[in-house]
Amino acid sequence: MRHNINLPAKVEDLLSLKIGDIVYLNGSIITARDLAHKRISNYIHEKKPLPNSFNKIKNTALYHCGPIIKKINEKYKIISAGPTTSERMNSVENDIIKFLDIHILIGKGGMKNLDEKNLKVIYLSYPGGCGAVASRMIKEVVHVEWLDLGSSEAVWFLRVEQFGPLIVAQDISGNSLYK
Amino acid sequence: MDKKIEILGKKITDLLKKSIKKAVTTIPEDIFDFFKKLYKEEDNEISQTQLRLILENFQYGKKDEIPLCQDTGILNFYIKLGNRFPIISSFRNIIDKVVQEATIDIPLRSNSVDPITNKNTETNIGLNIGLNSPPISIEIIDNSSDLEIIILPKGGGAENVSKLFMLDPIDGLERFPLMIKELIQKAGGKPCPPIILGVGLGGDASNSMILAKKALLRPIGVRHERQDVAELELKIKNSLNELNIGIMGLGGKVTCIDVHIEVSMRHPASFPVGVIVQCYCHRIASFKINKEGELIYEA
Repeated sequence: MRHNINLPAKVEDLLSLKIGDIVYLNGSIITARDLAHKRISNYIHEKKPLPNSFNKIKNTALYHCGPIIKKINEKYKIISAGPTTSERMNSVENDIIKFLDIHILIGKGGMKNLDEKNLKVIYLSYPGGCGAVASRMIKEVVHVEWLDLGSSEAVWFLRVEQFGPLIVAQDISGNSLYK
Repeated sequence: MDKKIEILGKKITDLLKKSIKKAVTTIPEDIFDFFKKLYKEEDNEISQTQLRLILENFQYGKKDEIPLCQDTGILNFYIKLGNRFPIISSFRNIIDKVVQEATIDIPLRSNSVDPITNKNTETNIGLNIGLNSPPISIEIIDNSSDLEIIILPKGGGAENVSKLFMLDPIDGLERFPLMIKELIQKAGGKPCPPIILGVGLGGDASNSMILAKKALLRPIGVRHERQDVAELELKIKNSLNELNIGIMGLGGKVTCIDVHIEVSMRHPASFPVGVIVQCYCHRIASFKINKEGELIYEA
């Protein structure tokens, strides 16, 4: 089954998504990979407030991605932006999505120990290696935080249109295509 | 500097620039053909959805010269230097300069991070020449006056699954295909399957890994010239395709595109097996020139 989801999305809108369904996303998403996860996790443990821009990402989607970015006339442009391997974020992801109040993860390869049921989170798989076509669906770089981590490790706030096909690989009931 | 050497250096620089761009934006024909054929054969809907996007990405990347995958990898340079090719001792300088420029121009993602400070050089080259970053391997070819350079961008997802097994000679030959099967099963969708596997059998610990990576340079479907090695390649490939890992680990008939094994003599006490895993988006580019700087081939 094919679904269009506008972000931010209510948790209730995600309940009907089942493994194997195809999803296209519209709206706001953020990227975060290894170093951003580590920093968010440290902020949570040290009870340090995140930058204000993180207040706006509730109910959006977190994309495991380290894009290629080019600055053209003072504006950032996404050149290529496929997913990175999600499993590397296993140890901290439950804490992070709970803290950020995010219920959609996008990545590749799936995640272990993800608490789908309690955190009401779905995991969407985007085919790895397809970074060139992904850049066409990312319409705007809205904001960036933590560029000191390097441009591929920074947190990019993006606006996407018809971002997909994303395959529901782990659903809220805990079903998984990887099992 | 000798005028002739200077001209050759310029020629090599220009060809390297072109080849790096080609390597990251264009999928070689053998892989493209494999996926076109797979799209006709694969009947599962999830696989078909992914295959359509993969084929579209191959076409779009080539047409608009955009890196197919945002992970433009670590650029591995394999240089085959004819012993009668005019002496060029500055490969490191040429490659470092070209890689820095390509990082800005194409652009490439910078994948050179200091393991202690986590600082990214943002240039794709190391701070210390002694660290061989990006990695350059030079092989001297006897009775040749040509220069051939192969560029293999190697992404992190597949590389992370790579492994060295130091087995016992008593049962190493029987065990290693099973160890590989277990490794790939555990890896699931992580290395962006369907994968290509490079295996280095024998040598010592470091040499088996070097051989395994070199094995990836062989085109898809080309078997090792030794019959017994060729049979092992097919046996392992078939066993991996029983795993039902499929495209990106979401299930399907094909988990492994091909297995390439290279062999070397081992110590009587050791049975080293180097395994390098490569993603489906197996990018590679190469060229060859003669001592006059004339192009022999470009691929």
